[in-house]
Amino acid sequence: MIVPPSDMLLKVLGGPHHTELVTSLFRLAQALLDADASVQVWACGAATGLTSASLGDLKPRDVTDRATDYPSIAALAGRLVRAYPERLNWYVCRFCSEDRGNTAQIAEVRTRPAARFWEHVQAADQMLVLGVC
Amino acid sequence: MADYLLIESNGPADGPAAARFVADAATLASQGAKVALLLIQNGVAGAVAGIDMGWEEFLSRGGELWVDRFSVRQRALADADLVAGARLADMDEVAKKLLTPGVRAVWH
Repeated sequence: MIVPPSDMLLKVLGGPHHTELVTSLFRLAQALLDADASVQVWACGAATGLTSASLGDLKPRDVTDRATDYPSIAALAGRLVRAYPERLNWYVCRFCSEDRGNTAQIAEVRTRPAARFWEHVQAADQMLVLGVC
Repeated sequence: MADYLLIESNGPADGPAAARFVADAATLASQGAKVALLLIQNGVAGAVAGIDMGWEEFLSRGGELWVDRFSVRQRALADADLVAGARLADMDEVAKKLLTPGVRAVWH
């Protein structure tokens, strides 16, 4: 595989239960895409769970608001990738996903070997690492 | 001139690391670098007036203090609550800065 060139590589570590990091990731990715930039997301560590297929399309039902559907993080990520098929690519670290039992991923993301991360860095003009393991 | 975008996501309640990050930013600014420091998530708590994170030194050396508007609103803070010299910034400004050639970005 040849990694498509991108203006920005966002490497993210950490899951949604830690902080607002994932919200910041989505906000920043959307702002970059709105600025016509091409973006790749590389999910490492607990962030490989963001696009786990086991999350399904919806969050568990809110018992105080049973009539409302809330999309899962995986559904939001898939929706964002589908909205920008030419300018957004989402990659998942194979080592980290296997280590955490997240091997079944949604169709919109691609699993990549950790040893190929350098190719993604090389393909990006700029890189920002968000969060820690 | 080196151009930096430093992003602090931790607040003063998370320990001393955020203040150290601000000190690093002030050092870079004092060496002639152009430095914008963005506070985001819990980091915006450090911009509340009365909390000493080393802003006077950072700002006096030419640093720019950006505070994420979304994070401020989420915490029910008002503009008047923020330290003098801080300015609210939206994510589109952050994206624009990141896409500026030569900018070095660090998230903490």
